[in-house]
Amino acid sequence: MHFTVKRSLALGLLAISLLPLGASAQALKINGSTTVNLPAAEAAEILRAEKKLNIQVDTQGGSSGGISMVGDGLVHIGMLSKPLSDDDKKKYPKVNFKLTHIGEDAVAMIVSQDVWEGGVKAVTKQQLRDIYEGKVKNWKDIGGPDRRIAFFNKEPGRGTWEVFTHWVYGDSKKAPQVSFPEVGGNEETRNKVASTKGALSQLSSSWADGKKVFALGIKGEDGKVVIPDAAHIANRSYPMSRPLYFLTNGEPTGDAKTFIEFVLSARGQDLVRKHGYLALADLK
Amino acid sequence: MTGTAPKRREWDFTRLWSLGASAFALGFMLLMVTLFIWQSIPVWKHEGISYVTGKSWFFRQQEFGMLPMVYGSVMVAAVALIIAVPLGLGTAIFTSEFLPSRVRLVVKLIVELLSGIPSVVYGLLGILFLRNWVYDMLERFEPLNGDTLLTAGLLLAVMVLPTIMTLADDALRGVSVNQRLAARGLGLTQTETIFSIVLPQAAPGLMSAVLLGLGRALGETIAVFLVVGRQDNQWPDPIYSMRLLIESGQTLTSKLGSSETNIAYGDPLHWAAMVGLGLILLLMTAAITWVGIRLGKGKDGHA
Amino acid sequence: MRKLRHRLFWLLTAFCASLACGILLLLVGAIAFRGWPAISWNFFTEQIRLVGASGGIFYNLIGTLILITTALVTCLPIAFGIGLLCGVYQRQHKWRSHLMMLLYLLNGVPSILFGLFGLIVFVKFFGWGKSWLSGGILLGIMMLPTVTVAFIERIEGLPAKYFEAAKGLGLTTTQVVWSVIIPQSLSGLITGSLLGLVRAATETAPIMFTATVFAGATVPHGVKENPVLSLPYHIFILAQDSFDPAVGAKIWGTALVLVGLALLLSLLALPLRLRIHEEARHH
Repeated sequence: MHFTVKRSLALGLLAISLLPLGASAQALKINGSTTVNLPAAEAAEILRAEKKLNIQVDTQGGSSGGISMVGDGLVHIGMLSKPLSDDDKKKYPKVNFKLTHIGEDAVAMIVSQDVWEGGVKAVTKQQLRDIYEGKVKNWKDIGGPDRRIAFFNKEPGRGTWEVFTHWVYGDSKKAPQVSFPEVGGNEETRNKVASTKGALSQLSSSWADGKKVFALGIKGEDGKVVIPDAAHIANRSYPMSRPLYFLTNGEPTGDAKTFIEFVLSARGQDLVRKHGYLALADLK
Repeated sequence: MTGTAPKRREWDFTRLWSLGASAFALGFMLLMVTLFIWQSIPVWKHEGISYVTGKSWFFRQQEFGMLPMVYGSVMVAAVALIIAVPLGLGTAIFTSEFLPSRVRLVVKLIVELLSGIPSVVYGLLGILFLRNWVYDMLERFEPLNGDTLLTAGLLLAVMVLPTIMTLADDALRGVSVNQRLAARGLGLTQTETIFSIVLPQAAPGLMSAVLLGLGRALGETIAVFLVVGRQDNQWPDPIYSMRLLIESGQTLTSKLGSSETNIAYGDPLHWAAMVGLGLILLLMTAAITWVGIRLGKGKDGHA
Repeated sequence: MRKLRHRLFWLLTAFCASLACGILLLLVGAIAFRGWPAISWNFFTEQIRLVGASGGIFYNLIGTLILITTALVTCLPIAFGIGLLCGVYQRQHKWRSHLMMLLYLLNGVPSILFGLFGLIVFVKFFGWGKSWLSGGILLGIMMLPTVTVAFIERIEGLPAKYFEAAKGLGLTTTQVVWSVIIPQSLSGLITGSLLGLVRAATETAPIMFTATVFAGATVPHGVKENPVLSLPYHIFILAQDSFDPAVGAKIWGTALVLVGLALLLSLLALPLRLRIHEEARHH
């Protein structure tokens, strides 16, 4: 009796050691920005069902994660919600980055209800800079209620953060490194701002629902306030907008090509609109 | 049972396998330490000792000081223990001293079943309930938001409670019945017996329970990540100020669990700084576990 | 007065015990209450749609099962070997206590460090990318102490007369191992495995960088670049990022399934553990 136990155990061990390594049907791997993830994940769903494509979508590390993973050859398509910087290119001299524009998104400065109702409806670039550098800590200094400003900073590396710092400081690299509580995904940001008094954060404008969180207008030097709605984003008068891209190493081929072409088609562009972004046609 | 040592070694497959398996476990542990040391060399070269004593972490400026994260880890674990130790110990005294053995087993099993609640689910409960309660509770102190070191500590307290309770109960049961009976025979009440005989005798075991609980609290990642706020460079001023308990903070584990780990990979120095955090965390938890086990003489229910 | 003090102390500890058990039961209650509405047959058989807002968790469940099966297959042979060395071959030897200490230390390693280790070794160095196999191996090593210690305790709980009688028949140690010790202590290995699997099934930190993605993976057909979906990671991502309120119910549903899985594994171990407990009292 004990002999058979022993033998089957030995056979089992042998089987484990012979597990086939490698060789697999290549899946199309996509990683990057949570902003682009919404339409991309849905597009992937449709293609999985209709064309039996094997597609994996993940959102680790935001746009920067997408760039570094395409650079390291870990994924085929990166999802970006910011332009590619020279630094990004310098990091991967051997990689031939190719961007495909798929839509446009705006970054809104969102506040919680008490701030909105306390009379803060717009901010200037200088005010944002003062808040970011910790010089202004209370809403009353910029015409709001007497309450400390609870600023949630988007994780560096997220497209939203890059767009914000790029506009406020002219270059994300010039932004001072600050220490605020950090938020990652869009829903996390919305939840935290909604449930915190005196809250302020940067968020994709499509997520600012006007019920729990409110998008501030941007007050220009001429005193005009521009709100982040479709018309102002389309005519480029709202300053903090950003392109949404797919990033590939060289021209997309095979499944990657199929995927990108689908997102650029009428159906794909409808998905972009569905999630609150502007489709390419809206920008003309 | 006691086997007599065999006169002659039989080198058969089973014995070899047992040696090989043990070597594998040892090898894994050594490999992990070696890897973490080797991969973090660049940051030690770059920062020197200020990597451990530095108070600012700005990766774009290539400044890597981990002290605020160590502070965060320690504070969060301290809050957890301050709550979980008295509660766990009280529970253990009740189950081990005042309950009949069968009922005790039922309570123990319930607690053990509950220790199977995943940390990600604790994190979810933390996000949806705890952070708002803490925020409302602290209204007077005007916390900026509900994600604080205190929130993470409270969540951890519930998470390490089963560990502390189970191990403390084992330690108390380890005190011999005869001693208890002798003390009762001298006319001591049950409570007096517990304080004069049982607790002093079980002290090393109880200390061990506390330390193993501390090890768990320091190593918990996901639940803390979701409610700690992840605010870098929080350092108390003056050093004994407790204000930061109700501010957002960052722990070693919440930093390691963040997307910065992925971002860092392309840059050898930044990556080394992240792995170095892992190395420090490993050394901290290993030292605590080692002392805890030595005290408890290797009685560990589960982790 | 002394009696009163005793009464008060009794009350105090009773209060602690009720509070501790109360908190924990309340948590399970809250999860069950919120998660129940999401549970339906389709929830188990459909895949995710609309970034978690609709559909079910079929592939997440499959993925978690793949991970824990791999973990078990990795862990058992090694736990078996270490258990024999500590429990039989090196019983009287100083190596035993060193090995036991090693197991406890391994048990104390924070789970995120398994993830970091896997990221360095499997993802980057072996070039596997995110793969179910790295996740399974990491979880397997993570649960190793739980399984091994339960096995050793069971071996050492066996009455000495078994061993001596077998030795008396002139069997070698290894023959005694296969004919007496293993059949008698298998229950320790099984309970240990079930308890270890509870941990393996519920951990997020070791697999988030190494083995699991949020959407799009199905059943792996190889090792390299073959991640799986999983239950814990699904909750982790949805907790931070979800597009609409419909997701809320789904998160709790997933949490309930995961807690249910953990409880199921613990409960499966229960009869064996109670039997062992009873036997231990009679020896």
